[in-house]
Amino acid sequence: MTSTNSGRYEQLIKDYQTEYRPQREWSEGRGFFLILGHFLVGVAAGAWLFGLFFQDKISLLAGFVLAGLGGLAHLANLARPERFILMMLRTATSWVSRGFWGLTLFLIGSVIYLPSLMFSDTFWQSDSVIADVGVVFSIAGSIIMMAYMGFVYTASKAIAFWNSTLHPVLYISYALRGGAAAHLLSLAFQGEAVSGGSDILIFWIAVTVTVIVLWIFEIQGALTSGEEAAVHSVHDILAGRLALYFYVGILLIGLFVPVFLMAGIIAPLSPTLFALIGLTSVAGDFFMKFSSIKAGVFSPVRLYSGNNRRATRRRKI
Amino acid sequence: MRWGMVIDLKRCIGCYGCQLSCKAENGTPPGVFFARVHKQEEGQYPTAQTTFLPVLCNHCDDPPCVDVCPTGASFVWEDDGIVDIDADKCVGCRSCMMACPYSQRFLNDDPQNYYGDQGATPYEQARVERHQTGVVMKCNFCRDRVRNGQDPACVENCPTIARYFGDLDNPNSEVSRLIRERSGFPLHPEKGTNPNVYYLPA
Ligand code: SF4
Ligand code: SF4
Repeated sequence: MTSTNSGRYEQLIKDYQTEYRPQREWSEGRGFFLILGHFLVGVAAGAWLFGLFFQDKISLLAGFVLAGLGGLAHLANLARPERFILMMLRTATSWVSRGFWGLTLFLIGSVIYLPSLMFSDTFWQSDSVIADVGVVFSIAGSIIMMAYMGFVYTASKAIAFWNSTLHPVLYISYALRGGAAAHLLSLAFQGEAVSGGSDILIFWIAVTVTVIVLWIFEIQGALTSGEEAAVHSVHDILAGRLALYFYVGILLIGLFVPVFLMAGIIAPLSPTLFALIGLTSVAGDFFMKFSSIKAGVFSPVRLYSGNNRRATRRRKI
Repeated sequence: MRWGMVIDLKRCIGCYGCQLSCKAENGTPPGVFFARVHKQEEGQYPTAQTTFLPVLCNHCDDPPCVDVCPTGASFVWEDDGIVDIDADKCVGCRSCMMACPYSQRFLNDDPQNYYGDQGATPYEQARVERHQTGVVMKCNFCRDRVRNGQDPACVENCPTIARYFGDLDNPNSEVSRLIRERSGFPLHPEKGTNPNVYYLPA
């Protein structure tokens, strides 16, 4: 074994000796790109929908660029990226495959629609049939992109913490919160934050409250699921190896700072403040996804379980 | 025809014969274990005891690993129910590893061998050549051997005859009889995967 491989082997053997083996495939090494990809694709879908609703070119452009980067991050997560096209084959059962189609639809739709907004003299008009087809494709793609990530985790039966049926709704809410934050940034960039931003702030507050409520339900569901692995994951987030990300990244940066700024306590609302609110909100969303993915631990394989429970607590040696 | 296995926990002595013979048969690289033996401590002093739990892919009737695979690389052989991987189609997304409730899938990441800087031994080279890197691997009940009329390597090499292999669709096969007569049970039935590996109580 080379030294890196040897390190990974030692880590695996060590992990197998623990009762709750942390999942590393989707969070470490190339796996980090999956977290990044899911984060970028979520914000992209939200930014695009907000851009369409408010006819905001910068949000639309940001959505397109972020989706492209998210797609690249997804490819970087694959051990065999050159075979990526095969991922289109199993839409009947696989959410990864459906997500791949969603991203493809989105990119095709946005490539058709964006030129009509940016260069309508050279290409088709934004009210043309071609542009409308682009809009329909991109909206369908955005909806799939927002939802598929949650379903991917719910389908991961080995990780009890991810099995919550609330996961897809939570991911859709994150995407909308990310979209609102991206739109705030866009307004700040255009110097229109104070005049045009109050509706978005109200939306941001509403969707943030939704995220908090869903998250509390998810944690409560994990704690009462009867799955020890799910309880272990919650412990890791609230008081274990991920507590720093939770308290600093999610609560402080992603929630308290934007709310504090919004209240206008340190300074009156200004484009810079709106930009800060958008940035901290997006950073908080990243930490949220990072910690919940990293918190996944494999359910231990036991001889007796469920209805068949006879074993006392076991300790691996 | 539905191949299945029965493991008699009364006979298992935790010798790791299955784990080693599997490694020898399949030439799996470091970190890939198609057959493993979990050694566990159970209970508390003065009634504590060590137990052994040999595990392998359960070739589930409803395999979540196959459902989540986006490429169709993970599939079930229709004629015998064996869950297998077509390495040529695998993109290494690791979704199946997250879906298997029994942790029976392994990523064969970079080329590896057991003897560090010395490089692969000729034996390792011969065995490892047939495995692609960047793809997920798992037990396939030694399908090539089984099609040639042999038992899987772990069954053939178990010194205490704790492992039995046969057709679970045939009510008269030894595996069906053992499950019936000795109350065989699968691991984690609550996961709804309908495993085809059964255990006989110790
Ligand atoms: S044990 Fe795991 S890898 Fe094997 S068929 Fe069942 S779910 Fe798939
Ligand atoms: S890692 Fe390979 S076998 Fe597993 S789900 Fe992805 S493509 Fe399928």
